[in-house]
Order: sequence, then structure tokens, then C-alpha cells
Amino acid sequence: MSDPIYWPSFFFLLFAGIACAFAIAVVVSSNIVRMAFYLVMSLAATAGLFFVAGADFVGSMQVLIYVGGTLVLLVFGVMLTSQDRFISMKTSRFELGMAAGVGACLFLLLLFAAWSVPEWRSLSREQVDAIALEPTATPLGMALLGARVDAPESPDVAGYLLVFEIISVHLLVVLVGAAYLARAKRKGSAIAE
Amino acid sequence: MDNLPTLLMIAWLLPLASFAVICIGYSVPQLLGLRVRYSTQKIASYIAVGAIVFGFLISAYCLFGIWLPEHPLAASSHHGEEQPDELAGQASPFRPTAFAEEHSEEGHKHATNGPPLYQAGDWYTLARFGSLKLTIGYYIDTLTIAMFCMVTLIASCIHIYAVGYMHDELHDVTDHEVTLSNGEHLHRRGRFQRFFQYFSLFSFSMLGICISGNLAMTFVFWELVGICSYFLIGFYIERHSASTAANKAFIVNRVGDFGMIIGLMALWSTLGTFSFGDVDKADGTKERGMFSMLHEQSNGYELAPTQRMIDFDASRQSEGSEPTNGQWLLFVAGVGIFCGCMGKSAQFPLHTWLPDAMEGPTPVSALVHSATMVAAGVFLVGRVYPIFTPEALLVIAVIGCITLFLAATIAITAVDIKRVLAYSTVSQLGFMMLALGLGGWVAGLFHLITHAFFKSLLFLCSGSVIHAVHSNDMRQMGGLRHKMPITAYTMLIGCLAIAGIGIPFVLGFSGFHSKDVIVEQAIHFGQTNGGYSWLFVVVPLAGALMTSFYMFRLWYMTFAGKPRDHHRYNHAHESPWVMAGPLVLLAVFAIGVGWTLPMQMPGVLSRLGVENLLDTARPVGQLGNKHGVLLPNLVIPDEHASHVAAVKIPAGWSAILVAVAGIAGATVVYLWEVISAASLRRYLNLLYHATWNKWWFDELYDFVFVRPTLAISRFIAFALDRGLIDSILHSFAWIYRGLAAVVAIVGDRWLIDNSVDTVAEKTWDLGLTLRSVQTGQLRQYVMFIVVCTIALFIVATLWWRFAVAG
Amino acid sequence: MMPLFANILTEPVGVAHYLVVGAVLFVCGALCMATKRNAIGVLLGIELVLNGANLNFIAFGSRYLRDSQGTIGLDGQLMSLFVIVLAAAEAAVALAIALNFYNSFSSIDVDQADQLQG
Repeated sequence: MSDPIYWPSFFFLLFAGIACAFAIAVVVSSNIVRMAFYLVMSLAATAGLFFVAGADFVGSMQVLIYVGGTLVLLVFGVMLTSQDRFISMKTSRFELGMAAGVGACLFLLLLFAAWSVPEWRSLSREQVDAIALEPTATPLGMALLGARVDAPESPDVAGYLLVFEIISVHLLVVLVGAAYLARAKRKGSAIAE
Repeated sequence: MDNLPTLLMIAWLLPLASFAVICIGYSVPQLLGLRVRYSTQKIASYIAVGAIVFGFLISAYCLFGIWLPEHPLAASSHHGEEQPDELAGQASPFRPTAFAEEHSEEGHKHATNGPPLYQAGDWYTLARFGSLKLTIGYYIDTLTIAMFCMVTLIASCIHIYAVGYMHDELHDVTDHEVTLSNGEHLHRRGRFQRFFQYFSLFSFSMLGICISGNLAMTFVFWELVGICSYFLIGFYIERHSASTAANKAFIVNRVGDFGMIIGLMALWSTLGTFSFGDVDKADGTKERGMFSMLHEQSNGYELAPTQRMIDFDASRQSEGSEPTNGQWLLFVAGVGIFCGCMGKSAQFPLHTWLPDAMEGPTPVSALVHSATMVAAGVFLVGRVYPIFTPEALLVIAVIGCITLFLAATIAITAVDIKRVLAYSTVSQLGFMMLALGLGGWVAGLFHLITHAFFKSLLFLCSGSVIHAVHSNDMRQMGGLRHKMPITAYTMLIGCLAIAGIGIPFVLGFSGFHSKDVIVEQAIHFGQTNGGYSWLFVVVPLAGALMTSFYMFRLWYMTFAGKPRDHHRYNHAHESPWVMAGPLVLLAVFAIGVGWTLPMQMPGVLSRLGVENLLDTARPVGQLGNKHGVLLPNLVIPDEHASHVAAVKIPAGWSAILVAVAGIAGATVVYLWEVISAASLRRYLNLLYHATWNKWWFDELYDFVFVRPTLAISRFIAFALDRGLIDSILHSFAWIYRGLAAVVAIVGDRWLIDNSVDTVAEKTWDLGLTLRSVQTGQLRQYVMFIVVCTIALFIVATLWWRFAVAG
Repeated sequence: MMPLFANILTEPVGVAHYLVVGAVLFVCGALCMATKRNAIGVLLGIELVLNGANLNFIAFGSRYLRDSQGTIGLDGQLMSLFVIVLAAAEAAVALAIALNFYNSFSSIDVDQADQLQG
């Protein structure tokens, strides 16, 4: 070991370890409340991985929206529906075994795919050190508004204004739909009023 | 010069901002159930007026402060082709320098012209699908700027006028034309702000069409104009007539837009671009637009189909037929786009929506009929003029000719003051289309601009009258000039302008100048082509005669003579200044907008005039006679050659003669009442009924389109479903029964048992087996998906290894 | 496979490493969906799957993990942003469905939702 420790790699290992360990814990655990907690940890660690990969804005969004928002929603779901008998529901052993086998196959497959492309191996240390650090929030925001400041004059990249608008409308519709689905059913007396 | 697109963009986006502010500030709270106070609603109108007036100031600055100093009209003679050597060295990179030597000394023989001065570019790329690029871009030439000034000025006047006219909406309204099921009249909240909200959106959409740099963007704003007119015509949505009129306008326009989409597809599939002009790309090269592709410089700017069109055409042609070299394709594209214009500009056969559109408030009618909706169609024809083949132009001319005659005849007998004006609009639009179709590009657009001024004036005057007497029916008016002099005399100016009164070859009202050049072009067309083409001279002259007749009939019935309905007469009053002011301003323009200032004026004012302005915007390849390919005898004459004395003198005299004759006729019948209108009606009974019923177009369409559609649906629902399908099924059942009997008697029992039964059993078994897959268990589905993914991956990998990679 | 782990602490990581982590998250999510009987548990699995995919997008878009010629640049981050947003929307709808399901069956066992079986 002549080289000193390369710290980004160390953090990558750290976060990857946390993310994978808690993800596995989600699968293994049978208590729904614990599962939700493990998922929080796994997703937070994923946000760390985003930071290590240089995606600072997406990382913080992961923390804000996912960890802060989506999961709170899920926890609410847990609270609203959890009665004692639902906290842990057992699956049959046969099914567990089947799932484990199939999952292992899928994992091996993905592993094989990840390793099979030489271009996906890492850069050398000097190459990485030569890359200047750049915040991504501004280019991302501009891209969402339709201007690609990261790749000006390039004919092949287009802004995401249209996509952004479509997604906005989509979100609106989804939220309206969710509110409609989740609202308490009016009883007959309410209609009579 | 560089900030011209930005400035115009500001002028264009200001109404949108006003729309957004009013929408968010007033309409959204109202939707949420809050009651917006009427005193604050008044502010909404100030926002809208401010936006459009500021837009006008910017447009005027662009014209007088930027464009004209850069390209002075004084430098160009009346014959535009002599200007290029001055302009070639100037700012515009688009003007070809070689072109300067081409013009010959003799007045008649012109080489055709190159592209006009323009700036084109893209603001933003919306999306890219293969080679299709959807952009928000601009194409700015003199026409764009002139339209901007015209639209914003007229819209400003109408906005201000509407502040007064829509005053009723500032408190709760009882609509006497709507009766509820309990017998009472509808009582509703006023909708002052909503009116201005739509008005702003309307102006924004129209300006978008004017500045648009490509056909795709034009189409977007085209539809936006359509939806705005739908909103505004149906402003009194509770009235049944208003909501049906809005529907009618919208649906009739869709019919035209269908043709337009065909035209767009024909153009795009063979040219690969939607943009009008050449756009500079980042790497210094040019992205070529439609116009330069169809008018190659190497071809002397003559219209010629591109190689791709010729190939496409050849691939579709049967053996042995005469090759058309893409001319048909170009013809279809041109006529297709004209179909869209036909809908928007209410040309025959799609003209029926426009008179019904009178159901909207009068300022809406004024805006729709002068500056926006109907102008959009004529403007688009003028904008895409370089793609029209001579044959397509002939189609335009014929349609315009029919329209102007039909609409004028209907206007003579109409008694609703707004409907007279509506049919007169249709008729004048026919004049414009006729002029464009006969090769008079400047003539058509010149008339578009002058007409916008006097028609908006006429509509606002009629609105003022309706405001005063609360009736649309001219038979209940009369003598009103004593009560409302400003309205009466501004309207008289409007009538004189639309009739085209003036001193030949000297000076006249604006309509005189523009109608004169149309007649000149028509006469030149007749002289060039001979024969039946003289119809294109006779019909417009007859139309002009009727125009002056019905306009003065309208004026006499409304303002002159004795009051017919004393109750209404006594309550009539002059409108407040917020309404009368715009009338006076528009009257000034209705008199003078057709004038051309003399050479001796200083600075940019020298030779200033709409006609000269438009002449500098003449599209590429429009000078010189154009000969038809599909119709070899057709010649679209050169517009500049129409100004020679041999054409000008008969045109000028005939135009003024028919105008005066029309006025004289109206005076005899309606002012002096030497011949009574009733006796005339009796003499021309059949004709009277035809025009009174609008030549039965509504009935015809009802009979030909609406009823058959309903009947077909009814037929499908009952006759087809019950009668046809059921009887077919029954007969099948009967045949099968017979066959089964035959098979049972004659057929081989053993074969049936062992083949058919086996198949049935196996199918049953297979169904049972597959059924167990559909467990309804979510988790098993997930497992299936995962397993199938793995299997697919493995299959794909193996296939790649052994079959493809070898 | 060994050279990747031998000097992982002293050399930068590459796209492949991220893909491995993404694979772990993805498989865990899929397993979660395949084994949990609780509807909320299935939802948690979906979130994990989406995150695995997200991680891959980020990895392919990152300039630090491979040659900048080969990356998809900012597009990767934009895609993952969209995925995050859509995941939030999806969670809202799925929860609404779960609540409805709970209201009508008094249970959130997905095994009971088998009305569509063949």
C-alpha cells in the first residue's frame, strides 16, 4: 500500500455500504415500521453517493423530497393502516426461497452487465484531480427553464422546458387524483343536505 | 437594428403579461369563490389598456425610430426594384448585390425581385423530433412592423372604447335575453375583468401570428386566436344564441384548419423546414427557410419546386402520364394553407360564422373584424405568398370574387346594424383575397390595413349607437344625428372611406386609395388574360357599387330622416368621451392612412405611406409576369406594371363612378324616398328573398352537413345496428344452423368427435393451465416480471454472441 | 473481478462501482415487492427500485467517474430529478389507493387483492 487513502473512494465505500446494508435490511425485516426506518437510512446514504458523484443539487433534492417528503408520506400510510396484525405479515418459506433464488440470478446478471464494459472502469487519480469542481444547481435550473448553459451551441441537446411543463401538469393531475381517491366517502346524509 | 427583435418581442409579450396578471389577480380568486369587488375590477382594464398602449408605443418606435432611418423610403423610388444598390451595402446581409444590375430601363420588363429586407432568427427551440425542429422564432420585415403598428393602434383604441362600453359589467347584471326555467331573467355577477383578460390574450395571439418565424408557430397562434374568438363571441355564455355562435365560429374554423394541416404536412415533408426565412446558425452557416428553397437565387428567384418535391411527385405518378414536376404538390400545399385562411377570414364557403359572431359585445366584433381574427387569414396569405403557384392564386382570386359579391348582396337587405357591417367585412375581405389572388400583393395588404381602420371605426360607431338606443334593428332608429353628432359624423367618415370616395388621381379617403389599386390590378389582369378574366373586373366594380349603396343605406336609416321609434329616440344620448375619443382618433386615421407624403418632407417622413412601406416588403419573386404551368394560359400580371396610365385612368374613373352611383342610389331610395324601398322589394321579390335569407347558406349547410351527420348517427344507432347488423347475425345463425344440420346428417361423426372435440378440450385445458398464472397475486406478478427480464437478457446475450457477432 | 476491489481505497471509483450499488438497491427493491404482503411494504420496494435506477443515471452523467466524452452530462441529473418528482407523485397516488383498499377490505394484505384472478 504505497498510495495514501483516496478519500472520495473511502466515502463512496462508506455510503455504498450503508445504502446496501439497509436495503438488505428492508428486505429481511418483517416489521413494517422498521422497514420504513431502514429505507430512510438507505435513501439518505444514496444521497451521499450522489454527492460523491458530483451531483450536489440532485443529492440535496434526494434528501429534501425523498427522505423528507415521500417517506413522511409513507410513514403516514403506515400509521393510518397499521393495526397489530398488519405490523408484520409473514410470507411462506417457499416463496421466500423462490424470491431469493430469482433475486440472486437478477443480481448476478446486473453484476455481469456492470463489469462487462471496459469503458465503465474508473479513471486514474490524476485525471480525476484535473477536473474542476462545478456546482450543478444553476445549469440544472437553466436546463429546466429551457437554456442549456452547460452545452451552449451544441445542436444535439435541447432544453427541458417542454418536459418540465408536462411533468408539472402531470403532477397537478396526480395530486388532484390522489386527493380524490383518498377523500372520505360522503355518506347518504351528507348528500341530503 | 439588433434590438429590433427584442423590442418587438416586448410589445408582443406585454398583452400576455396583462393577461397573466388579470388571470391570477382576478379570475383565479373568483374561481376559488372569492368575490372580487367591482372597484378593483376597474384596475384590470387599466392594466390591459396600459399593456396594449405601451405595445403600440414600442411598435411605433420600431417603425419610426429604427426601421425607417435604417431603410429610408426616400431612397427607394416607387418602383421598388431600383433600390437595391443603395441597400445592398447596408446593414442587411440578405440583399443580394448581384441583383442590382438586373433591372432594365423600360418600365414594363422587370426581372423578378429578390427577397425583401428581413431579419429572421430563433428565440427558443421547443423540441426536436428527428429533423423536425419546433422553434419560437421571428421573421421581421416591413410587413411585420406595419402589422404591429396597425394591430396595436387599433387594439388600443378598442380597449379604451371598451372601458366605456363594458361599463354595465361593473355591477350585477340582469340579462333580459335569458329566461330561466322559472320565468325570471338571469341575474349574474358582472364580468368586467374577464372581458379584458380575453382581450389581452387576443391581442397577444394576433401579434404572435405577425411576428412568427415559422409555420408551426403561426399555427399555434392561429389556434390561439381561434380559441380567444370563441371565448369572446360566447362572452354572454348564458344566451343560447351566443354559445351556439361561438361553437359555430370554432367548428367552421376547424374545417378550414384541417386543410391547413394538409398544407403544412405537404410543405414539411418535402422541404423539411417550417421557417420562413434563412436563419443564422451558431456556426456561421445559414439554415435555409422555405422561401429561399422555393425561390433559388440561381434560378433568378423564380418559383420552382425543389428536387425533393419533383422526386416525390415522380414516385407517385403512374406510367406514361405527363410529369408535373412537383407542381401539383406545391398547388396542394398552397390551396391547403389557403383553406385555413378561408376559415379565419370567412371566405365563401366558410363565411357563415362571421355574421353570427355578432353575438359578442360590439368591441369584440370591432376587434375580430378589423385587426385580429379575420386579418390573420389575409395576413397569412400575404406572408406565405412565395409558395403560391399561379394556379393556387387563381383559386384564391375566384374564392375572393365569389365572397365579395355574395356578401355584398346580403348586406343590402340586412336590417341589423351590426350584421350589415359583418357582411360588409366579409365582402371587403373578398376584395383583399381577390387582389392577392390576381397578383396584387401590395394592393391586398394595403386594403387590409386601411380597411382595419375604417371598419373598426364603423363598428365602434355602431356600438355607440347600440349603447344609446339599446337595439340592433335599424328600423327602430332614424334621425339620431341630432342626438349624437360625434358618432354620426365619424361614422359618415367611415362610410365615405369604405365607399372609396375621393378625387381621382389626387386625394381621397383611405379606402379610395386602396380600392383603386385593387381595381387597377384587376383591370391589368383582364387586359393580360382576356376573355372571362374580365369577370374579375366587373364583379368587384359591382361589389363596390353595392358597398357604397348599403353603407349609405345604413347611415341614412340610422342617422338621417325622422326618428321611427320615439321612445328609443328620446332616450338616446351621445356616448361619453372615453368612447367618443377613440372614434375621433380612428376617424382621423380612416381619412388619412391611405395617403402618401410627398418627397419633400424631412427625414423619415419623406414618401411615407402604407403603400410605399408595403412595397419594400414585397416577397421574393413577385415582380414580373408569372406564367402557370398546369394552366399554361394563365398569367399573373406584374403589379408594378398596373400603375401605367393605360390601366390607371380607367380604373380610377370606374372606381369613383361606381362609388358615387351607389351613394346616389342610396340617397334616392332612403333619404329622398323618391322610390320607396317597399316597392323595390316587391319588384325584386325573388332577389330580395334570396338575399334576405343570406342565399340560404345556413339552411344549405344545415341540410347538407348538420342533418346528414345527425341522420347518419341516428341511422347507425338504429337502422344499422338493429336492422343491418342484427339481420346479418340472424342470417348467419340461420346459415350455421342449416350447415350444422347438413353436417350432422351427412358429416362424419367420428371426425367431428375426434378433431373438433379434441381442439375444444385442448383449448379448455390450456385455458385452465394459463388461468393459474393469473393468480391476482401482486407478488407473483413481480416474480414473473423479474424472471422474464432475466430470460430476455439471457436470450438477447446468446443471440448477440452466436447470431450477430458470429 | 478482483482488480476492482484490490486498490479501491487508493484509486478513484468508476461507473461500474456505482452500477453495482445500483444493482444491489434494485434487486433489494424487487425482492421487497416480491415478498412483502403489506401494501406499504410493496411501496417501499418500489422506492428502492427507483433509487437504484436513479443511481445509475447519476453515475452515467457524472464527470468524475469516466471520460467526459462518454458521459451523458447534465441529462443524467435531469432525468434523476424527474424520477424523484414522479416518485413523489407515485407515492401519493399509491398511498391513496392503499388507503382506499384499507377502507374497503379493512386490511392491507395485497394477497387479498385478487379479484382479478383468472
